[in-house]
Amino acid sequence: MDLSRRGFLQAAALTAAASGLTVACGGSGSGGTKNGKNLTLWYWGGALSDKVVAEAKTHFGSAVTLTAASIGGDFKQKLTTTLAAGSSVPDITGIKGEDMASFLPNASRFLDLNDLGFKKISAQYLGWKAKLAQTGDGKQIGFPIDIGPTALFYREDLFAKAGVATDPDKVAALVRTWDDYFTLGTELQRKNPGTYLVNNISAVFNIAVGQGTQRFIDKNNHFIGDQDHIRGAWTTAVRPYTLGIDAKINDNSWNAAIGKNLLTELGAAWHALDIEQAAPHTKGKWRVCANPAGPSNQGGSYLALPKQCRNPEEAFKIISWILSPANDARGFTDAAIFPAAPAAYTMPAMTGPDAFFGGQKVIEVFGPAAKAIPDSYEAPADAAVMAPYMTELTNIEAKGKKPDDAWHDAVSQAKQIARRQGVN
Amino acid sequence: MTSPPVTGPAAVPGHRGGPGPARFRPRRATPAGTTARPRRRGPLSYWRQYLAISPFYLIFAAFSFFPVFYSLYLAFQRWDGLGTMQFVGLQQFRFLWDDPVFWLSIRNTLVIWVLSTVPTLFGALMLATLLHSVRRFKGFYRIALYLPNVTSIVAVAIFFGAVFSNNFGLVNAILGTVGISPVPWLSNPWLIKLVIALLMTWMWTGYNMIIYLAGLQAIPASIYEAAKMDGAGPVRTFFRITVPIMRPIILFTVIISTINGLQSFSEPQVLFASNAANANLGGPGQAGLTTLLYFYQSAFLNNDYGYGAAIVWAFFLLIIVLVAVNWRITQRGRKP
Repeated sequence: MDLSRRGFLQAAALTAAASGLTVACGGSGSGGTKNGKNLTLWYWGGALSDKVVAEAKTHFGSAVTLTAASIGGDFKQKLTTTLAAGSSVPDITGIKGEDMASFLPNASRFLDLNDLGFKKISAQYLGWKAKLAQTGDGKQIGFPIDIGPTALFYREDLFAKAGVATDPDKVAALVRTWDDYFTLGTELQRKNPGTYLVNNISAVFNIAVGQGTQRFIDKNNHFIGDQDHIRGAWTTAVRPYTLGIDAKINDNSWNAAIGKNLLTELGAAWHALDIEQAAPHTKGKWRVCANPAGPSNQGGSYLALPKQCRNPEEAFKIISWILSPANDARGFTDAAIFPAAPAAYTMPAMTGPDAFFGGQKVIEVFGPAAKAIPDSYEAPADAAVMAPYMTELTNIEAKGKKPDDAWHDAVSQAKQIARRQGVN
Repeated sequence: MTSPPVTGPAAVPGHRGGPGPARFRPRRATPAGTTARPRRRGPLSYWRQYLAISPFYLIFAAFSFFPVFYSLYLAFQRWDGLGTMQFVGLQQFRFLWDDPVFWLSIRNTLVIWVLSTVPTLFGALMLATLLHSVRRFKGFYRIALYLPNVTSIVAVAIFFGAVFSNNFGLVNAILGTVGISPVPWLSNPWLIKLVIALLMTWMWTGYNMIIYLAGLQAIPASIYEAAKMDGAGPVRTFFRITVPIMRPIILFTVIISTINGLQSFSEPQVLFASNAANANLGGPGQAGLTTLLYFYQSAFLNNDYGYGAAIVWAFFLLIIVLVAVNWRITQRGRKP
């Protein structure tokens, strides 16, 4: 192509002007007025139902102009940077469940949703989920979008082959405790050679920790990752490894293994979609039943209003509309987002049979699980402190490290991280 | 050395220290043909030139210079990225000294660096020598060998991850056909490092080869002819003529490779990103945890920006030391 000097200059000037315009439009800043007409919403792909968001734009069109931006990449990092800079801050933003704890120490960067009316409607949402987005002094930072109640996914056909009951209620009765579950696993493996009960032991540990009310750091900011509740979860996690029913999958080969040699899969409600996408040929062969030893939660996000929000009243109206039980149920249909509002569980959108699970009504498993998840306290440094346990469990699987050595290394490493993060 | 065609005083061969070739001189410089030195002028009178080069320096100041020193400041603070900073003195460095994971990451980085830089530079020099003597399809070979360097590192890492996958990878499938049992490429600590090093070798050999090739082409053919007449074989010619003349270029590539190789981050990050239990921790046994990956994890995932800054500054000192050592080794034996 022949590019003349003039053409080049014109193109350059146009590009510069265009980027300048974009910056100007995006630059919402922190205007002094609190009844702004333009509101921006930041979320990431799959956090909300795009259809509901689009409808919210028209629904509130007469009062405000809502601009929704789906932010890719490292969402937490982008939000942190923007909040720290203090300009172009979104009026409404999503916060991932796993990041919520680390935002709580900076609750002053956000509006207290209780002041805007969350208190009145909070009974509609699961208490344990709302509490995880609450500061010690009761400020409500996050409005729960969804949750990830865990359950046990199992291969009905392989269970039948082993002569084990296949009905979800009966299987649930068979795996009431972790020990029952592992015993059943050994039996299943004997009848189905080459198969494994769990994909890796970190997954077991993660769920076992989540079944308790305490995690790695207590409310007084003390490290408790060396105490019995964590040691118990650790011992539980190591069991399948010693029994030889652990597939030790720690990489993307899970995708290939899931339809082949995994008997069961522990995971949250949204994990069903992963299984479905990785192993479409196993359609109809899977069932779901209650998690051994009770449910735990994995993931689930929030919407929050940064302090700079230009119209808190309208913004709160918008999020409480987007996350109303009825729209929550639609989120489940559109984007497999499991609602944090139990009222949605009885709506037709959620009570239908699921063909991938052989026509089972999976809400009958996940609904009660969601309500049974215990209240727990997650400290800001919790995720960082948990990491060495996961690393050491992987070391057991990959390098054959002795579980006791791994435990000692995990605790000493976790203590160091805790100290660095100001935990005493 | 050939000097560009110039007029005026600069036409003297080897115009070191002179006013430079005519086309690089300011327009109002002394007219060609006069031998008088140009009058000294204040730097302000060159404002057009300064303006022309300013975009780079402004961007450099905002995105490189400032962050570098800000991170030094951060290394003495405790900061979660949003809240108030707390001055902690040398505490972060004390933590660093006691942190086995930091030392593990340093070891990993050094091993990966050696495993990748040595074959990269040797391979590049060999390929450059071979390519220098090629007569046909020159352009094709050059492009083909350079292509890995301009390929997205993420794409290459995903590709390597698939090829070396433990359970269903291509390499293990090929080994399986000749009866070798699957090799745990992505879970054995040494093999993990080997795969990462291989990936980096694959990406950087072509880049260094192009630089060497440019150096080879600058060696006058007459020197080789003289050597041939004196009865030197190809190997002797290579070690006695090519390598000594190329020494400054080799030094350059060694230093660049040291800096690049020690900064490996994307390779292990992408390779083990699907490791759901501990993404960004360098895979099983943290064998692929390089120092920069550990820095990223500490600062941006654990929100411990002070500690992250301390990691990179400690690492900076290490790079300085290694570059100095490299410099000495490569300079050794050179005539003063």
